[in-house]
Amino acid sequence: MNIYYIETTKLDDFVSKLKKNHNVFSPYIKDPAAGEIDYFYKKSVDTEPLLFNTYRAVEPLKSFFTYPYEKVTEYFSAEKNITDILEKTIIFGVKSCDIAGHKIQDFVFLEGVGVDSLYRLRRENTIFISGDCTDFKEVCHCLAWDILPHPLLGFDLNLSPLNEGYLAEVGSIKGEELIQLGKEYFVQAKEIQISARKTKRDNLIERLKKHLLPQGLVLKDAVQKLVREGYNLDTWHNFMLTCVECGGCNLICDTCHCFLLADKKEDQINLKLKVWDSCLYANYARVAGGANPLKTRTQRLRNRFMKKFDFFVDNLGMPACCGCGRCIEVCPGKIDIREVLKDLAKKVTVKA
Amino acid sequence: MKNIYKPIEATIEDIIVETPTIKTFVLKTSESFEFKTGQFVELTLPGIGEAPFTPSSDPNVKEKLDVTMMNAGRVTSLLHNIPKNTSLGIRGPYGKGYPLEQFEGKDVLIVGGGVGLAPLRSLILALFARIDKYNKVVLRYGARTPEDLLYKELIPRWSRKKKVDVFTTVDVGDSSWKGNVGLVTTILKDLPVDLKKAISVVCGPPIMMKFVTLKLLDLGFSPKDIYLSMEKNMSCGLGKCGHCRIGSYYVCRDGPVFTYDILKDIPDIWE
Repeated sequence: MNIYYIETTKLDDFVSKLKKNHNVFSPYIKDPAAGEIDYFYKKSVDTEPLLFNTYRAVEPLKSFFTYPYEKVTEYFSAEKNITDILEKTIIFGVKSCDIAGHKIQDFVFLEGVGVDSLYRLRRENTIFISGDCTDFKEVCHCLAWDILPHPLLGFDLNLSPLNEGYLAEVGSIKGEELIQLGKEYFVQAKEIQISARKTKRDNLIERLKKHLLPQGLVLKDAVQKLVREGYNLDTWHNFMLTCVECGGCNLICDTCHCFLLADKKEDQINLKLKVWDSCLYANYARVAGGANPLKTRTQRLRNRFMKKFDFFVDNLGMPACCGCGRCIEVCPGKIDIREVLKDLAKKVTVKA
Repeated sequence: MKNIYKPIEATIEDIIVETPTIKTFVLKTSESFEFKTGQFVELTLPGIGEAPFTPSSDPNVKEKLDVTMMNAGRVTSLLHNIPKNTSLGIRGPYGKGYPLEQFEGKDVLIVGGGVGLAPLRSLILALFARIDKYNKVVLRYGARTPEDLLYKELIPRWSRKKKVDVFTTVDVGDSSWKGNVGLVTTILKDLPVDLKKAISVVCGPPIMMKFVTLKLLDLGFSPKDIYLSMEKNMSCGLGKCGHCRIGSYYVCRDGPVFTYDILKDIPDIWE
């Protein structure tokens, strides 16, 4: 696909132009004094300059497409279907891990027995303007899952910072249309710029490898066999001890997709609600009559890993982890997905 | 585009009291609604909640469907207390159901426990509708007590049919009960089936299915010839909400009927 170059000031002009007929979300820094900076998304207004986030934001990408609590349909009324009257939306600052994790959401809601029409509508109305990572957080470990810190596919436009501007790579027809919309701002990228991008990317990968190699992480090709063989190990119990069943790991995960359908009456209108659920909650698997196949916290913690590293490897050919590390940051019990897998690996080898 | 979460309306035409804890609801849907035997539906009590059930009626009857349900949880306890002519919501059908074509020419052994006979009634009626295709139908059914037996008037009628062999049991008898007393596994002896051309279908509480499966294996049934109805917390029915995972399968999408050879290496399937 085509690669263009745009100067930083021109990018800001371009984005201002886009804001006239798009909702634009972009990252900002809540607390600039924090030791490790956190980026959050917000709706970007007016001529505010764009902030390039050096790594992924705190919120998972899924939160633009499924909501913690939302009405999905009315029934038995002279109803209009609930559909967002959606303005076109552009999300800046999406990272490679977000895009990888989002494959799981797309698989769940766009494929299989039926298509979730609200999800599809939001998806079709949204443009991803992603960016290379130029730094990483302590918890970042995308490389363990063969995910690079810059996206290769799945974006509409991808920005790579270069000198006083950005290289903008087109990843889709929507992306090419954007370029056409801002023709006056972009110029064709030169070979030398593209090779400079490669050097920057390689340097970041090297830095990330230096960070990750000493950790001795479990890697993509080994993980399914590992969780299967480690099914009966005490790892699950040991890591469960600090789990407070808050569900934070699920809710903030870019790949976790579980929800419950619930019903409600509002002004005499029947509503079907879709509410994010967490497999760490005690009632997650409970059936009428009280039987619960995931009675213990140990079973539920293990369930989370089996779903990610066994079910999805079989169903989609990839583990449902993108190495973003959000679950590690959010956990009040300091349960670290990397450490759980490493503990299994240590014990499975010892056993063999 | 169709909203996959939206139920259509179904009116309760009749309510049949089967046992002190089980009722059958005869539903008439506002739009045509067809299902294959063994598939399940989600019933909505409007504005209140939703739960999964496998219809208990003949899938060849298009204008109505029956749902036999035990008063067991939040939604079913409310459903047990509503009058006729109430409107419910219905979504589905979901899942794969029983592969009837694989039962052709076979001795079909059906083993039910408690309210597990409900989905099996649909299967039995589907088999009866084309009974010439099957070699015979053998039903073994157990309930806790005589009054907990489902379809008390139907079962004697079934047993008088040609090519059909029925035997029931209760865990605990009473003064009027003249039949067998013991778990359903105690009436799986001397079965009138030819193992070389027999398949078995089991539905009941998990603990019952576990011991029946072990017994059937012991009798010489091959794991691929044991069809089990798995119970999980199905919410969406569409393979999206995540709740009903067993190993690398979803009960709603890939089941709810599975052959034991698919399940046998998955840990904790009876939990």
